Formats: sequence, structure tokens, C-alpha cells
Amino acid sequence: MRQISSIDLAGGIAVVAVLALAPIVISSNYLTGVLTVCAIYGIWASSWDFMSGLTGRENFGHSLFIGAGAYTAGFMATIWFTNPWYSLPAAVVIAVAFSLIVGFPTLRLRGPYFALAMLSASAILQRLCLIFWEYTGGEEGLYGLDPLIRNPLQYYWFVLAILVVTVIVLTLLAQSHWGLLLRAIRGDEATCQAAGINVTFYKIASLAISAAFAGLGGALYAHYQLQVSPPLFSVVVSITIIIMCYVGGIGSIYGAAIAAILLTLLTELLRGFGEYRLWIYTLTLMLILFFLPNGLIAPLWRRMTERFR
Amino acid sequence: MLEILIYGAVSSAIYAMLAVGFTLIFGVARILNLAHGAFYALGAYAAYVFTSLLNLPLLLAAPLAVLLVAGFGVLMERFLVRPLRASQLAVLMITLAVSLAVEQALFITFGSEYRNVPSFVADKISIGGVDIGGQRLLALVAGILVLLLLWLFIQRTRLGAAILAVSQDPEAAQYMGIPTNRIFSIVMAISAGTAALAGVLVSPFLTVQPTMGLLPMVKAFAIVIVGGLGSIPGSIIASLILGYSETIVAYLVSTSWTELVSLVAVVITLMIRPSGILGRRAAF
Repeated sequence: MRQISSIDLAGGIAVVAVLALAPIVISSNYLTGVLTVCAIYGIWASSWDFMSGLTGRENFGHSLFIGAGAYTAGFMATIWFTNPWYSLPAAVVIAVAFSLIVGFPTLRLRGPYFALAMLSASAILQRLCLIFWEYTGGEEGLYGLDPLIRNPLQYYWFVLAILVVTVIVLTLLAQSHWGLLLRAIRGDEATCQAAGINVTFYKIASLAISAAFAGLGGALYAHYQLQVSPPLFSVVVSITIIIMCYVGGIGSIYGAAIAAILLTLLTELLRGFGEYRLWIYTLTLMLILFFLPNGLIAPLWRRMTERFR
Repeated sequence: MLEILIYGAVSSAIYAMLAVGFTLIFGVARILNLAHGAFYALGAYAAYVFTSLLNLPLLLAAPLAVLLVAGFGVLMERFLVRPLRASQLAVLMITLAVSLAVEQALFITFGSEYRNVPSFVADKISIGGVDIGGQRLLALVAGILVLLLLWLFIQRTRLGAAILAVSQDPEAAQYMGIPTNRIFSIVMAISAGTAALAGVLVSPFLTVQPTMGLLPMVKAFAIVIVGGLGSIPGSIIASLILGYSETIVAYLVSTSWTELVSLVAVVITLMIRPSGILGRRAAF
């Protein structure tokens, strides 16, 4: 089992410190807001990377779990008027339920079924949100959620803390016996099966874990935006997350989180480009596929710190 | 009753045109083309540009639109997909990237509002007391014709035999002197062309807007999974099943629930018979 080396630990602490102190140094509500979104994307990207990066099963509809989590929070706040804190565990439960519904029929199969089913499920759910507008608010979505923490800076720290916990938990899991099995499934599924490993169980369980964090992130996002709307389910959200994981280096988890933060900041900088923004994103993806198939962040970090290991 | 029969046939024909192209390129080249819906949308927009903006006659505009999209498909396969063929994952990513790029390009060029394409056939035709738009009937007839031609092409011509050979074993086909890469290009052209034709045919009676490709593509996935990945007869049977189930649900329950039909069909298929109705390859 690989231990987390001290240089990785030092790097992690440095990054977290910079992220935590940035809004104090540059005191602006705008920056705090952007960083909150960055941290939420970090949660989504690292949760995607845990399942798909380790097992090699591409999840093309991570937005399904995000939307499920966010809408759970939305329904709880606007229909049942519950304490906003209850929506976090509820979002996790609902997202996991969705992951089991999609995972059970598709993950026991080889081939592209899982990728297709996730993409379809998220697209259809987005459509259902528009069709059943009496309940979901249609295009406008649900309004009037209560913030979890009124002070934006404190909320940012709260989200950042959840991101840190997410990355630590997922990294520990990835480096445990469990993670080894997931990587083995990526390498050669048939051999794993022959070795008596319940491949299907591990794949579904890792999807459930991934969905749990994505749903949590969805609820955090809902309580940051104070509204939820159908674009949360969109393919664009899923693909954005996949691009982040590609840039970070598939299977590294910390790389995905850092890439998510950097790319979200970049997106903010590109806001001036308006509708061309997604084009730039898509172009980035194509360039990475051709020239950096192993990603950018994680390989770079490994090379930089090679001497210290 | 007759209404269900006719409308179901129309939507089945359109689904079949989309699904056959999707399953063909997968069966032959193992390319899971997530840009298939983009071809459909491009076809509809090309029809819009040629008829509404350039005022070309239908008989010129429709083939031009199909050729244009087929050419686009070939270029995509040649320059974007082929270099990444080694990894199934990279192929999925690049085709999804193309589909988003097309959607964005359409959005930037034409805006998000709905575009209208004039009807090719304006008259309503009455069959047994049921009024049906001529355009829908045209889509049905054209769909059946295209599928028939495709079947004849694959079963009766040398090129069709080569396509079948590549789909069975690309390496062996290559050793027999079949230019595999050229076959991939041809199949991609056919696949993109049929998707574009579907887009052209529905453009007068469905909304033409940038995101129009996504849901039909999702339906095509569902059909292909139900029918068996890579099987053309399977996807035609599945198109009929899905087309009719959706129409029946729309008439008996409400149109809101039709979107769920394909999802339920996929889940049931994957639980009971993952290889699909006519899938030869064991899926697990």
C-alpha cells in the first residue's frame, strides 16, 4: 500500500492554506463567491474521478447526481420548509438511490452501456423537469432556498472544508485495498472476476460513493445559488467535470480537484467571451485529448516533486 | 386506433433512420458516435438555410443538406476520431466534444430561438378518416425507402459485402485486401447522411433549435440497446417497438410520459436480455 508522502501532504496544506486565506487577503464578495463555486466543482470533479478514474468506467451523466442532490434540497426547502441542514443528508440519500437505479442494470455489463445509460438518464431527467413544471418550476426552477450559513465567507470555508474532507476520504479509499481492486478492474476485469473478486459489487459501490459526494455538492450548490434549475442536469455540466478530471490527470483525485478550481477560475476570466466560452472549453478538451492524454496537473506535480521522494 | 397506427409508423421511421446509422458505425468501426445527434441537428439547420434563406427548391436543398452533413461526418472521422481510435474512451470524449462544438456553433450563428422550415408537402392527406400532414407521410415513405435501399446496398453490392466483412473481423478483412479505413469513411458518410436526412425530414414539423439533437440521440441509444448494439434488423424492430409504445402512451396517458418510455425500455432490456433483441455479441 502506498503511503501519502510528506511532500504531497505539504503541497496539499499549502494549497488549502492559499485557498482559505485568499478571500481574506483580497476582500471581495465576488471572489468569495467564485471560490465557493470552485470548491463545489472540486467536490464534483474528485467524486467523478473516484469512480470513473479508478475503474475506467466513464460516467457521462454525473450531472444526474448533482441535479438530484440540488433538487432534493430545493424540494425540501420550498415544499416542506425543513431546516436547510437536513437537505445535505437527504441529497446524499437521493443521489445514492439514483446511482443504484442506473448502476444495477448497467454496471454488471461490459461495453458502453453504463456511459450511454448515464448520459440518457441525465438528459431525460432534465427534460422531465421541464415537462412536470407544476412541481419543478420548469425553466425557472425552484426559488427561495435558505442559505446554510448567512456569512458568505464562512460558507466558503465550510464548502472548502467539505472539499478537503472529500479529497482526503476519496484519496484514502483509493489508496486502500479497495482502491487497488478498483484499479485492477480498470486493468483487466476478466482476470479480477477469475480471481474471485465480486467486480459488479465494487463498481456499483464505488458509483454510490461517487454519487453521494456529487449529491452533497449539488445540495451545497443549491444553498449557495438559493435556487435550482434544470441546467444542473445538463450534459454541459457533466462534460465540464470530465474535462476537469482530464486536465487533472485521470485517477489522481487531488489533480481533479485542483484542475476544477483552476478551470472554474479560468471560466470566470473568460466570462467576457460570453457565448464563445463553451467553445473554448470544448477546444481545450480536444487539445488535451490529442496532446496531453495523461492530463496536466498530476503528472506535472509528480515530476516537480520527484527529487523529494 | 388508425391514428395510433399511422403516427406510430411515422415516429418509428424517423427513429429507425437515426438508430440504423448509429448502430452501423458502431458495428463496423466500433465508434460509439456521441455526435450522432449533432448530425441530425445539422441536417435540420442545413434544410433551414437552403430552403428559408436561399430559397432553393426542395429537390435540390434536401440532397445538398444530406451531402454536406455526410462530408462533415467523414472529415470528423478522418481527422478527429481516427487518430484516437486506440482508446474507446477518447473516441467517446472527442465525439461528445464535436457534438457540443456543433451545438454551440449553431447557437452562436442562429441564436436559440426556434426556426421554421417551410413544409415540403403542404397538403393534408386523409387515410381512412384520419387527417395526416403530408410532411409526416413523406418522412414515413422516405424512411422506409432509405432503409430498404440501405439493406439492398449492404446485402447485394460488393461494397456492402466489404462492410459486412469489416464488421465481422476488421483484421481479417484487412488481410483480404479490403481497405478498412476507406470502409470506415464510407460507413461514416452513410451514418451521418441518414441522420441528416432524418433531420431534414422532420424540420418542417418539429422545432429546429440548437439543442434539438440531444433527445433524439438519447432515443437512438435506447433503440440500439433494446435492439442489440451493432444489429441493423434489431434496431429496426426496436424502433417500431419504441415508436409505437411512445405513441400509445401519448394517446392513452399523456405526452408528458413519453420521455420515460425509452428509459424504462432500456432498463428492462439491460435487466432481462442485455445483448438486446437481436444482439449476437454477448454483452457480459
